[in-house]
Amino acid sequence: MNSRFFYDLIALALFSAVIILGVPALMGYDGFELNTFARYLSLAIVSMALALSWGTAGLLNLGQAATFGMGSYVMAMHLKLRASDGLPDFMGWNNVEKLPAVWVPFESLSFTLLAGLLVPAAVGGLIAIFMFRARIAGVFVAVITLAFLVAFQLLVIEQQGLTGGQNGLTGLAPLTLPGWTVDTYSVSFYYLVAGCLTVALALGVYLSHSKFGLILRAIREDADRTRFFGYNVATYQTVIFCISAALAGWAGMLYALVLEFASPTYMGVSFSLAIVIWCAVGGRESVLAAAAGAIIVNVLEGRLSDVFVEGWHMLLGIVFVLVVMFMPRGIYGVIVDVVRRLNEARRGGRENAAEEALLPATIQTNRER
Amino acid sequence: MDVVFNQLFAGLSMASILLIIALGLAIIYGTMGVINLAHGEFVMLGAYATWALQNFVGLGVVTALPLVFVAVAAVGWIIEKLMVQRLYHRPLDTILATWGIGIILQQAVRLSVGAESRFVKGPELLSGNTEIGALVMSNYRLFVIAFSIFVLVGSWMLMTRTEFGTKLRAVIQNRGISECYGIESKRIYSITFAYGAGLAGIAGALITPLFSTIPTMGTGLVVDAFLVVIVGGLGSLIGAASASVLIGEATALLSAVMNDTLGRIAVLAGIIILIRFRPRGLFPSDTRN
Repeated sequence: MNSRFFYDLIALALFSAVIILGVPALMGYDGFELNTFARYLSLAIVSMALALSWGTAGLLNLGQAATFGMGSYVMAMHLKLRASDGLPDFMGWNNVEKLPAVWVPFESLSFTLLAGLLVPAAVGGLIAIFMFRARIAGVFVAVITLAFLVAFQLLVIEQQGLTGGQNGLTGLAPLTLPGWTVDTYSVSFYYLVAGCLTVALALGVYLSHSKFGLILRAIREDADRTRFFGYNVATYQTVIFCISAALAGWAGMLYALVLEFASPTYMGVSFSLAIVIWCAVGGRESVLAAAAGAIIVNVLEGRLSDVFVEGWHMLLGIVFVLVVMFMPRGIYGVIVDVVRRLNEARRGGRENAAEEALLPATIQTNRER
Repeated sequence: MDVVFNQLFAGLSMASILLIIALGLAIIYGTMGVINLAHGEFVMLGAYATWALQNFVGLGVVTALPLVFVAVAAVGWIIEKLMVQRLYHRPLDTILATWGIGIILQQAVRLSVGAESRFVKGPELLSGNTEIGALVMSNYRLFVIAFSIFVLVGSWMLMTRTEFGTKLRAVIQNRGISECYGIESKRIYSITFAYGAGLAGIAGALITPLFSTIPTMGTGLVVDAFLVVIVGGLGSLIGAASASVLIGEATALLSAVMNDTLGRIAVLAGIIILIRFRPRGLFPSDTRN
């Protein structure tokens, strides 16, 4: 175990302690406040999912919101069926007489939970195979995923009879797990979301420190050289894209639970770029930092919109531009720099090249060419 | 048959609007490798500038064009000086930073002018239709088509027939060597960015009689323009022109066959496939490595 992994494990433990123990205590176990915070935590999952593909593998996915939206619709479809006997109400309004075949399996809870992960993963995988087999990289990944996002959102809005169109899926029943009807304004629901985030983060930390993660970073730095070493670059990229999409779908399922509806705005360009913003503010190189970034930006957004009803969006834009310009590695980069300075000051003249190489900040990561 | 001709005209009209928006983006992207997601907001600023000039000064859409160009170019110039200039070595970060700039511009307009839709009157002179048999063409749309061709030719002349254009192409090919020859590449970049922004402003002015002028109008436009630029090929003017005709006509014809949304989805799918097989676009130019 190297020191980077060690630091990340400590950070992960601290992070989970804060969200599982600290936040509920701070909010006084108040169901309403915790519901808001559970929303932030589900967004943290999609932000860390983006950090896996963008920060680790260098694939800027501007269509992350599409897989997020799929997850939320999968969950909402199940809850909608639970809420209606027979045909969901909006289908009646759209002259759909029989429950469409794609809706039928969503009666089952286990199918829904699996589909929420596997459908986004499959779609992400298809796009990834399509792109990476042709060695598409850099800005073209961003363009293709963006175009896919726009097309997918249009399709969802267009298929009114299937998806509820512009209105999305509303009037959902509460989720019933075996022996537990989930009340989204309860403390236990908060623990469910916080638990999901912790598991997702543990997976993310494990992945980024595994050999798999190392190869992904090698691909980000120089795809050709990695290829010359005999690694199948496209396969690695496809796998991380699938994992990232599945995590985004998971986040989407939780998000639909928290907000109790699914809407095509979850698949909008603005929302997708907002995910990128959270990830960049926190620091794309670390899944923990990306998750923290999502929480910080959303908490700020919540607070600022109370204080500056009109201008908060503008403040957000200004903060974001400043972060991109002066903190290109996000909050994570600042922390890493400070730690390195402290270490250097402590060690004074006893510079040791081998030891230096183990420290996080000396691993050059932000080279974009 | 009439339907086909009318749809072809609608496609051409759409292509002209796409072209005039994408041209500025193509020039900025081709020269500096900067993907300017604030471009849609430059278009929006142009539209609002036109509205302001019409409402408060009493200028028509066409007479306002030079002023709008200068105003939006000035905004672009300031943004380039303050921000974009620091990001030339981090091209992917420009996507993020310019998106942030876009949010700021959008909010600035929303806060100062308001979120409601603004109406801009088209020129009286161009209000009627020209009819050839069953083909009905709005005069204003014809004017926009003509004007977009004029802007295309103008930009091409600027790039190939002026001293500025020669310097610009030199900087694109090799920045270091150009600087050795005394070309101030920073200045060239600033002017180019301002020019691209100004073109977006003109596009905004021209589309005001056709679109509703709202603060969020740029977001959808920039995605379309961005796709045109990528399909056309890195920084190629002729590529941008043919890509906008291709996308405009394909959208119009497919919309007639299916419906508007499905037509657009089909075009987007086509674009994705095209980028997959020709990532460098229809007309790749071998500049900038």
